[in-house]
Amino acid sequence: MKNVRVTAKRLPETWTAWGFLAPALVLLGLFVLWPTLRALFWSFTDADLLRPQQDQSRGMANYSVLLNDPRFRQAFFNTALFALMVVPVQTVFSFFLALWVNRPEPYWRWLRTVFFVPVVVSLPVLAILWTLLYQPVRGEEMGLINALITGIGLPGQRWLRDPTLALPALAFMSVWQGAGFQMLIFLAGLQNLNAETLEAARIDGAGPLQRLRYVILPSMKNSIIFVVTATLILSFRLFAQPYLMTGGGPDGRTRSLIQFIYETTFQDRNLGLASAGVILFLFIVAFLTLMQRLAGKEEKS
Amino acid sequence: MSRGGKRLAGWIASGLVALFFLLPLIWMVHASFRPENRIFAGGFFGVLDFSDLHVGNYPAAWRRASMGRAMVVSLTQAAGIIGIGLLVNSLAAYAFARMDFRGKNPLFALVVALIILPVEVLAVPLFLTARDLGLTGGMAPTMGALILPFAAKAFNIYFLRQHFLSLPMELEEAARVDGASTFRIYWNIALPSIRPALATVIVLDVLTHWSDFIWPLIVCTREETRTVQIGLANLFTEPPIQYGHILAAAVIATLPVVLVFRLAQRHMVASQSNVGIK
Amino acid sequence: MKISQQFRLFLTVFGLLGFGIFLSGCGSAESGETLRVWAHQGQEAENQAMREIVASFNEAHAIAGIRAEIEFFPDHQYSERIAAGAAAGDLPDIMDLDGPTLARYVDAGLLAPLDDDFSEAELADFLPTIIAQGTIDDRLYALGAFDSALVLYYDREILAAAGVTPPNEDRPWTWDEFLAACATLKEAGVDPVSLHMDESADEWYTYAFSPVIWSAGGSLMDPDTGRIEGVLNAPENIEALRQWQQLFALDYADNSPVEPNPFGLGKTAMDWSGHWMARSHLEAKREALGAAPLPVVGEHRAAASGSWAWAMLSTSDRPDVAAKFLRWVVSTENGIVPIVRANGAVPARRSAFEAFPEYEEIPYRLFKRQLTEHGRPRPQTPHYPALTRNFAEALRDIANGADPAETLTRAATQAQAVADR
Repeated sequence: MKNVRVTAKRLPETWTAWGFLAPALVLLGLFVLWPTLRALFWSFTDADLLRPQQDQSRGMANYSVLLNDPRFRQAFFNTALFALMVVPVQTVFSFFLALWVNRPEPYWRWLRTVFFVPVVVSLPVLAILWTLLYQPVRGEEMGLINALITGIGLPGQRWLRDPTLALPALAFMSVWQGAGFQMLIFLAGLQNLNAETLEAARIDGAGPLQRLRYVILPSMKNSIIFVVTATLILSFRLFAQPYLMTGGGPDGRTRSLIQFIYETTFQDRNLGLASAGVILFLFIVAFLTLMQRLAGKEEKS
Repeated sequence: MSRGGKRLAGWIASGLVALFFLLPLIWMVHASFRPENRIFAGGFFGVLDFSDLHVGNYPAAWRRASMGRAMVVSLTQAAGIIGIGLLVNSLAAYAFARMDFRGKNPLFALVVALIILPVEVLAVPLFLTARDLGLTGGMAPTMGALILPFAAKAFNIYFLRQHFLSLPMELEEAARVDGASTFRIYWNIALPSIRPALATVIVLDVLTHWSDFIWPLIVCTREETRTVQIGLANLFTEPPIQYGHILAAAVIATLPVVLVFRLAQRHMVASQSNVGIK
Repeated sequence: MKISQQFRLFLTVFGLLGFGIFLSGCGSAESGETLRVWAHQGQEAENQAMREIVASFNEAHAIAGIRAEIEFFPDHQYSERIAAGAAAGDLPDIMDLDGPTLARYVDAGLLAPLDDDFSEAELADFLPTIIAQGTIDDRLYALGAFDSALVLYYDREILAAAGVTPPNEDRPWTWDEFLAACATLKEAGVDPVSLHMDESADEWYTYAFSPVIWSAGGSLMDPDTGRIEGVLNAPENIEALRQWQQLFALDYADNSPVEPNPFGLGKTAMDWSGHWMARSHLEAKREALGAAPLPVVGEHRAAASGSWAWAMLSTSDRPDVAAKFLRWVVSTENGIVPIVRANGAVPARRSAFEAFPEYEEIPYRLFKRQLTEHGRPRPQTPHYPALTRNFAEALRDIANGADPAETLTRAATQAQAVADR
């Protein structure tokens, strides 16, 4: 049976393969690759959004302007900090949620659905909802979060107005929304976990921590790498939340990389500089993704 | 601790975590039924106050955000992306999974690399491309601009390829011996076998594109082509700003996604096992 | 039916649907016979009035075979839409623009001058603020049908109950008088004033609080050289904003209000707000509504002005028709009266005030007077978006407790950096 495929006609198969690939490749080329190349080209010019087709070459000038721009640096720093808060918290939280609800009874299945519910909230709805939840205390009126913490006797906070709290507030909201999704991926990974191995470890007297370290974590490595990579990339795409909720403030402490690119494009209409930002953004994300994969490989060997 | 006590503690803990996830949404739904000057009333236990609820925010929000029309646009967008996307992505994924051809590995590496490219930063060059293809202006071209750029998706190709790879070969080979064409094998055997993965892709696509904000902002130039999210954002910026209307519109905008998720959920359950990226 | 069959059916249907949409998209072409008009989306009544104005224009020009078609864009989408349209060469023949953004589009060469289309006598009928807003480098590029006004509304009854003498329509409060009134109100247990500071820093901040800086003799930008650094953060500006910051430091005003209109609900005694609140405030307060010019930090009186104005695109291939349309929408009878009826803004032409008897009364009387005597447009610079973004963010942060000198200097430096590129 096995060699039927090997002896199958080679040349026609090549043509069939390209036929299968063509629609996707054409669309990806047109709508992903080509715009990226266009941005790459603009990043070396003084392209003006309102004056198309009059671009003069600027060489690498956009890149040096960008790297010396305090707003760009701040946006990079904010985005990285956001990712640093979201990625570990969300990964660990959703991992333990998955371990916890990984039971067959209907109650736990129902619970899984509950944890997943925030995922279906779209970003603009999320932004608007949490703007109201974070409303500061004003007399009798306040947002739900402040109602909760003043209810247990802590002072109310001005979440989105406080320079040190605003970014963590956005990160908290992201964890709330994304954890259920990552939990599902971990649950899927747990299906690969060999129940007998786990039981054997238990019988051998391995405590919960040892079982986690030596049995569960190794078998979940792929899921963990996937979740960390996906969360990292999504964190770096932060835009709608600061754009709608804080306008990048206070003190520019929530302005994200994408928001910087957006403002440079549409408000400052500096397409050249914004394109350099796009290219740097892609480099950063590619670098992070690569690091992830290398880290994953190393552990394997 | 006794077994029963442990179980009780588990229930309480799970109830609290469930509350953590649900409370903001319960608040949203509850507040959407409250009169404007009572949205924040009652502090933390305000959500238990059912005395002054009314439905008036809903018709107002529906009308002010042109929700009816916006729903049609957004649902058509989602359907188009799903329909075209499932087809072209699964075709490509099948080729990468099951066929040999020159340049396969570098091409696949390129496709995987495209996963990281986010549309939001490429909005301007993408808009110029859409313009060059005639995808700007009226209803039909705008729908094209809302759908076509997102139909082919590198991640979906990658994801579906993993699932095709995990299928046993025997069925497909038997069909080949019977003289079935490659397309027939793909269409009749391989595709139905990865149904859970397709359901997952559908849910992911709906979640992603139901949130689209920047791109519709740029391409939906006519009133009749506005998506749900744009209609919602209008309520947030267009006077008079009424939180009750905004929240009602937010609830309306969330319902279709809940529905899609409910429908796809039972197909998805088995799908997750091959998700890990290598 | 088996589930797998359902699935393939589903795929086929949606695939066909998608391709059908795509193909129909390829086939349809835009008709090039009509005049394309873009406008910002206002409140429902305003959009409706605008549609009716277009309809009346079409009716009056039907014999000549001229037809205008209008598209509305919400504020938060509008400048993005114009920018994307410019980049794609997909612009209308005529559009309305927010006053301060005009210089940006003139600088990009998108607009055609209007000087030849209007006689001096006609232009003399317009409010000086409308002409000032539309003129760049001595050429007129835009004319509005209405302007905006910003005043300090107050509730006579609340002020009287607290023992505060209301401000004078002819002479604004000094900042000290304003703070003293706030202190008295606060002691009486009333929240003194609402300033409508919401979470995101937007144009409202620049519009509403530039007059504070102007009143101290400062500017946001040197009008001759376009310099921002050293001007925006000049000592008098810093001092003015230090005074302004007192409102928040002493808790006279809320810098993150929950309620959009506390004054209307009787929760605050005064309201730092625009003409657009006049109707609802009059309804809520009737005789008790008072209005005065904004308090001043220094000697200089300057009132905020500026609104949407119509401009012709230089790319239009039928400028004569576009000019006809522009004349129509800024004519007293056909354009200004119907739109002002709908949106309650201040008419742009003196001849239009006759149609609005309320301009004999407070607060409307004050609007007209401010615009004719003290109106001042925001700075005209192609880099206005960077200027207003940085200034508005600085204002929000200063209201939040940040040091005015440091914050304003950073805003000036960053705005200057964008302008220098």
